[in-house]
Amino acid sequence: MSTEPLPPLAEPGEVRRSRWPALLATLLVAVGVLCGGGAAVLARLGRPYVATPFLSGTLPVAPEIDPLRLVRRAAAAEREIDKVGPKGVYIVVDTYRNRLRLVDRGKAIREAVCSTGTGIVLRDPRNGRQWVFDTPMGERVVERKVAHPVWAKPDWAFIEEGYLPPKDPNERFDNQSLGDYALYIGDGFIIHGTLFKSLLGRRVTHGCIRLGDEDLEFLYRHAPIGTHVYLY
Amino acid sequence: MRRSVLTSISISVVAAAAARAGENAPDPTQVAALELEASLAKRPAIYLLLDPARRALEVRSRGAVLDTIHLRGIELVTQQPLLRRDVPSLPPLPAVWTVSNGPGDWDREVVQPTELRPEPKADEDSGDTTVDQGSPSAPTATPTPARETPTSYRAALSIGWDLWVTESLPPQGRWGLLRAAVRDGLARAEGKARDLPPAITLAMSAEDARRIHHLMRSGMAILVAAAP
Repeated sequence: MSTEPLPPLAEPGEVRRSRWPALLATLLVAVGVLCGGGAAVLARLGRPYVATPFLSGTLPVAPEIDPLRLVRRAAAAEREIDKVGPKGVYIVVDTYRNRLRLVDRGKAIREAVCSTGTGIVLRDPRNGRQWVFDTPMGERVVERKVAHPVWAKPDWAFIEEGYLPPKDPNERFDNQSLGDYALYIGDGFIIHGTLFKSLLGRRVTHGCIRLGDEDLEFLYRHAPIGTHVYLY
Repeated sequence: MRRSVLTSISISVVAAAAARAGENAPDPTQVAALELEASLAKRPAIYLLLDPARRALEVRSRGAVLDTIHLRGIELVTQQPLLRRDVPSLPPLPAVWTVSNGPGDWDREVVQPTELRPEPKADEDSGDTTVDQGSPSAPTATPTPARETPTSYRAALSIGWDLWVTESLPPQGRWGLLRAAVRDGLARAEGKARDLPPAITLAMSAEDARRIHHLMRSGMAILVAAAP
């Protein structure tokens, strides 16, 4: 029987130390693969918004090199704009803020709270006919002015209330709803008064512009027929 | 109402050029913008003028400024993969872009009475004052409550791009882009995200974004002046 001494057993701590680098490397590879894969997926699938400065593009036509011709072109364009631009007294209606301004030669001489169209669509349950209660946008003209106006109620005024439009035209007349004055601006749109003064400043109308009594009277007296109205 | 700034600029440019007897030409881009505006002003419609140099969006009609919106920023924004940056080429400027489809076209409440009945006569009204209150035939709003005007929305332009009105531009830093990419990637994995065309992004206050929401409807012309 051999009596040689056995080699000393390795310490447990030494075994763990020898495995650490391999475990660490495996972990790093796994993390790398995960991150790389994630980045690759992001690069392929993730499409964030990228902003670049808004710089001028190219001219639509070859640039004019003759300065005098450029001067003439600019002057002609300016004349065209001046010819159609607002002059004298005109009305501006802001349908978002519900404000009406009466302007005289560029200076606002009256600013009033008004009500404008709801933008709602009303549908006739019988046939699907629709009305859009928008205040129109763009330029219009005061076509006529009437004191103590009478409103001939259109079909939608009855349908909105859940009633059938009457067959007798006399049942359509209403001499109270429009207030004391009315300025007609075409296509049935009117600047008029209201019984519902607490709703001024809100979008509650069927497209017309409602004003309070004093503002309406001022407008009636200072905006002659032919006054331009700019609505936006 | 004040005179068009563009017109004023042009007048000074023209005067200066005339004074120098043709030594220096007026800026051709400004002359071109003025001519485009002259063609727009012939129609009785509202149009918008986007002036990148002044960071302003103006509501105009017939060459006159009706309202001005001050912009926090104007950028060209595109959706791109995270690791690539391509700058799409800008269309020629100055130009008139037209809204082909905007939130002002579809964002509406629809009401419809359930049924119509004959209007009661005045003497009938006095006999039954409760008819109109809670009547089933009164106009019935759509079941969904009317929502507030949004402060971030896109309008499609006829040039194939979008006009994106928003409160703030998307984040452009490295981490901001990474976060946006993660969000977008997850949304795509869920099938929610989609590719959007390049957009001219106008950053403005929430109130201003609501203010021009109804103007973003089909047919609205936007004159884009060239940046300096």
